[in-house]
Amino acid sequence: MILRSIRVSGWRCFADAVAVGPFKEDLNVIHAPNATGKSTLFEAMIRALLDAHRVGGREVEALRPWGRQLTPTVTVEFAHGGHEYRITKRFLDSPSSRLERQEGGRFVSLAEAGKADDTVRAMLSRNAPGRGLSRPENWGLAQVLWITQGALALAALSGDLVSDIRSSLGQQVAEPSASPIEHKVEEAYLRIFTPGGKLRSGREAPPVAQLGEKLEAARAERAVALARQRAYEEASRRVEELRAARAQARYDAEAIGEVLKGTRDRAELFQKLTSDRNRGEESLKAEEARYADLKRRMEDIAASRTEMAEVAGSIREIETDLPLHERELRQRDREAEEARSSLEDARRDRPKVDAARELAEQARLFAENARALDALEDTLRKVAAALEALDQRKRERGELVAPDDSTLNAIRKAVKKRDEAQILIESSLIALEVVSEKHGRLIIVTGEQPGEVELSPGIPARVTGSPEVVADLPGLARLRASGPAGSVGEHRAARAEADRELQRLTRPFATSDLESLEGLIEKRRALDKSIGDAENQVETWLSGRTLDVIQRQHSELQAIRANIIQDHPDWQKTPPDPPALKAAADAASQAFVGRVEKAESDWDGAQKALDAARKSAGQLGSRAEAARTMTRSLETRLAELTADGKSDEQRAVELKGIALSWDAAKAKLEETDRKLSEFKDNPVDTADRLQRQLQGAEEAASQARDAEKTEEGKLMTLGAEGTYSLLAVLEEKVAALESEVAAEELRAGAIRLLRDTLVDCRARAVAAVAGPVESVATQMIQRIAGGRLGRLHLGDSFEPAAVVPESSGEGVSLEAVSGGEREQIYLATRLALAEVLARDERQMVVLDDVMTFTDAGRMARVMAILEEEARRLQIVVLTCHPERYRGLTGAAFLDLDALVHNARP
Amino acid sequence: MAAKTSVRRRTDLRFPGKHDRARITSRYGNDRKGADAAVKLIHTADWQLGMKAAHVGGAAPRVREERLAAARRVVAAAREQGAELIVIAGDTFEDNGVERALVQKAADVLGSSPVPVFVIPGNHDPLTPGSVWEHPAWKTMEHVHVLREQKPIDVPGGTLYPCPVKDKRSRKDPTAWITPAAGDAIRIGLAHGTVEGVQQPEPDHPIARDAAGRAGLDYLALGHWHSTSVYPAADGAVRMAYCGTHEATGFGERDSGNILMVEIAGHGAAPMVTPLRTGGLTWKVFEKDLRQPGDLAGVRQVIELHQDADTTLVELRVRGLLAAAERDELERIREILASRFPFHRVDSSGLRPSPADSGWLAGLPPGLLQGLAARLQELSDPGYAGNRPQGGSPEAASRALMELYTMITEASR
Repeated sequence: MILRSIRVSGWRCFADAVAVGPFKEDLNVIHAPNATGKSTLFEAMIRALLDAHRVGGREVEALRPWGRQLTPTVTVEFAHGGHEYRITKRFLDSPSSRLERQEGGRFVSLAEAGKADDTVRAMLSRNAPGRGLSRPENWGLAQVLWITQGALALAALSGDLVSDIRSSLGQQVAEPSASPIEHKVEEAYLRIFTPGGKLRSGREAPPVAQLGEKLEAARAERAVALARQRAYEEASRRVEELRAARAQARYDAEAIGEVLKGTRDRAELFQKLTSDRNRGEESLKAEEARYADLKRRMEDIAASRTEMAEVAGSIREIETDLPLHERELRQRDREAEEARSSLEDARRDRPKVDAARELAEQARLFAENARALDALEDTLRKVAAALEALDQRKRERGELVAPDDSTLNAIRKAVKKRDEAQILIESSLIALEVVSEKHGRLIIVTGEQPGEVELSPGIPARVTGSPEVVADLPGLARLRASGPAGSVGEHRAARAEADRELQRLTRPFATSDLESLEGLIEKRRALDKSIGDAENQVETWLSGRTLDVIQRQHSELQAIRANIIQDHPDWQKTPPDPPALKAAADAASQAFVGRVEKAESDWDGAQKALDAARKSAGQLGSRAEAARTMTRSLETRLAELTADGKSDEQRAVELKGIALSWDAAKAKLEETDRKLSEFKDNPVDTADRLQRQLQGAEEAASQARDAEKTEEGKLMTLGAEGTYSLLAVLEEKVAALESEVAAEELRAGAIRLLRDTLVDCRARAVAAVAGPVESVATQMIQRIAGGRLGRLHLGDSFEPAAVVPESSGEGVSLEAVSGGEREQIYLATRLALAEVLARDERQMVVLDDVMTFTDAGRMARVMAILEEEARRLQIVVLTCHPERYRGLTGAAFLDLDALVHNARP
Repeated sequence: MAAKTSVRRRTDLRFPGKHDRARITSRYGNDRKGADAAVKLIHTADWQLGMKAAHVGGAAPRVREERLAAARRVVAAAREQGAELIVIAGDTFEDNGVERALVQKAADVLGSSPVPVFVIPGNHDPLTPGSVWEHPAWKTMEHVHVLREQKPIDVPGGTLYPCPVKDKRSRKDPTAWITPAAGDAIRIGLAHGTVEGVQQPEPDHPIARDAAGRAGLDYLALGHWHSTSVYPAADGAVRMAYCGTHEATGFGERDSGNILMVEIAGHGAAPMVTPLRTGGLTWKVFEKDLRQPGDLAGVRQVIELHQDADTTLVELRVRGLLAAAERDELERIREILASRFPFHRVDSSGLRPSPADSGWLAGLPPGLLQGLAARLQELSDPGYAGNRPQGGSPEAASRALMELYTMITEASR
């Protein structure tokens, strides 16, 4: 189908009738600014060709121009199947539809109303819209051929169109009869699986899923039943164990009881023997004690007597030695007294020695004081001289009147000014120099110093003046010298000023001679330096002290000297010899010390000897006293020991008797011990232990009985449940379900395999079919964009799915491609499909404002392709940029804006 | 289905020595006719009441019920045959955890016996705490004796030496306590275990092969194994025997569904052992290797002609090549099995599409369907060495091919 013309009225922005056409069979560009109605025109064409005239709803109401109650009407003339047609439709108000066909050069009615709608729609699509306006999926071939604004992307095409494309390609992907089978397969598959391949769930779950759920539930129930059966078995085992434990505990208790009985008998005997042994031990100890006691008494008596004799002997010895000790003591006492006296004598010389030392010390102090005093006086003298010198220099300095440096500089400047002025004056003056050869007179008539000047031979006489100098040589000539009139007056004034300044500056110094003045300055400087030197000298002699301090120190030293002289008046005339006095004092001291040390040593020795003698005598006395005390004590003890009134013989006899008793007791005890040693253990402890064990065993038996009862209760409860029977039923149920599930899984697996294999086979077939379209589209893309994108890959429904760059060999989603290249891909795919669809008949391709992201370079290539495709297709471009398409050779450009304006009354 | 109330002698079972009730040969040391036997007893065991029957799906309750019905037939057999006692050699119940109502029912069945019943616990229902033997029902039946100790007791016609089982597993010979004794009383042993010589992973209540002779028993009634088996002594006399389970428990079980009627003329006489059928259900396996068209139809005919379908559990195993056209036949067989038999299972995992059946594939129009069918046929070949997609097992591919065939066939109608 190709478009011839279109006329709209009462349609959105087209309130008045607007006719666009005739369209060329190849290239057409409808251009207008935005909001003129390009897309509206396109829409009107779609409604005319694809929608029912009676369609209603808000979308259709919106076709009316705003604020107007006009009836949207559209008329489209087109060619299809070798015939020319005209379809006219009115919407909303008195909707109508009329199809006409050109016969014999004029249009005659072919169909009306619904028939007209259906006939026209069938030329493009087999898929009528439902309620409302048609959508692209209802457009049939136009899905590919007509591209509305912003809808260049090519989604999956409707099944009918895909079939049409395939059939147009002349290849059978599937025989006609395959489609019902494909549907059946798909239906069977979708009854079991979701389109994503997962098992359906919920209300739509297939038997395999439902059975699976039942199986899971049954398995869960079985697990619970199995747990109960295991619990039952475990309870039975537990009861068995507890019974065995109780029986064992009972056996243990009986066994322990038997042993306990025997042990108790043994324990009784053991206790009796133990009691006998205790008694025997006591008897033995008693006899032993008696024996020991008597023996000790006898020994003590003997010992006491022996000791008494010894003590008496000691007393006699002491009494013999005592006088000797007393005599020694007296001797030592005398010697100590003598030594003490010698020591006192020696010590009496101390004051003399001290006095000599004191004298020597004073002499030393006197000498030192004298030296210090001399030093201070010398310092004072020097300081006084330095101060005198300083004062002198200061006086000289005070008398000297000399200019300072700045004044000297000012004087120099004034002199310089004066001299300069003088030079200027001299240079301004006319100078006449007369050198006479003989004596004469020169009369200065005009000049600086008019008057007469005596001339001497060879001696020049200079006359200056300004502006002229006139001098007469009497009788000879009048000399006149003139020169340029200069400013002698100014120079003279300057010199006078300089003289005045000079005088002012030099008045205090009584000379203006610069050399003299410089001399004065030198002198001043020298005086200043000598004052500085004098001050330094004073500081040097003072050494950081003040004069007052030195004088004070001097006074102190003088006072010390006076004090010493007061003690030693003769020193004033004859100073002492401190070293000699010191030596004498040292000698006296040494002699004194020697004597005293000897005397002290002698005394110390005598005193020690005296102390030793006293100690010895004292000890002897103490020994004697102790011996006497011991004697008394021994006598008392002996009396106590013999208080029993027995003789030694009697005691000896008694001792023997006690020994015999003791032996008897020992023998009896040994016999008892022997009997006790026959016991390997302590049967009393053993009986206690056995008693505790018996209690434990009885307790264990009781606990086992209680536990057994408890477990028996549980066992009975579980037994009453019939756990095995319940488990058996559930296991049967699980087995049955597993069998069913297996069968269903086999069926589901077979259906999945059938479907997947079908899909695979179809994909291969489609691939074979889609190959040509892919090839054409790929060529177009590579012409537009170059080889970078590689090969285009189409999906099952001919939608562009990916590009396969040669560099990677792997598919790249279109999402990864730039927006411009993506729209180029879509355009190429649509044009390749359009080629297929236009094999039998030229078809119209509408491009409404597409290629917005394509640059000018690639746009040129796109237009070249459009020109080529225009050989097979009618291409209608809607654009607000006609300049982009000016490159299209042979294209018809229709200015919609102009058409609209022309259409207005 | 009504339980059978009469039992029939198993004439198909032939023991060494071939005992016939009418002919008691001297070879067994006793010329007395069976009617004059000193003791006639019914030997049964392994009733496995309450057993799980997961292998028969929804027929499990029926299978369990039949076991109780068979128990009634045992009691009826005792009545009919004039037995003096019934001995049950263990495993009366499948587990000590069976529902207590079943215990009561079993006790009621045994309680209806006209003669004393002597029961020992087996390894499935050992004498453990909480066992079925603690049910109070056993105390109400004076003539039903649950033997709990290894102690000889007097029974009509002789002395019974019971060997009750007290553990699920044991390596001890339960008959070891029986020692020969003097006297003329007929000595009958009652034990549950495995006679030496039967292959098993580890000893399980082992019983010496010569236990009867060693213990001086005239007859040792055994339980544990479900097939009827006898153990002749050196003199050919059958003194040890397994009666087998009174009702078969599964497909392929040999010689089960029986009890033994044992007649002993006197102490030392060779017992006359006669198997009696008590089983009510038949566990039938049909197997067929399909090689040519029509084989499956033959299977169907056999199934259709099978008698007593209402008491037969069927397992059908078909292998081989299945033509697409025969798929309906297979479905027909399933329908017959489902409608007539209480249980059926069809194992057709060994079926493969017949190569000669590629005719229907060739008949498909070239294109998608033909390619699809060819691919599935390729995958259905177990020997296909190419790339198998996930889920593309030969069985799944065969089934998928059948599904495709069905869809195409339905679409063509």
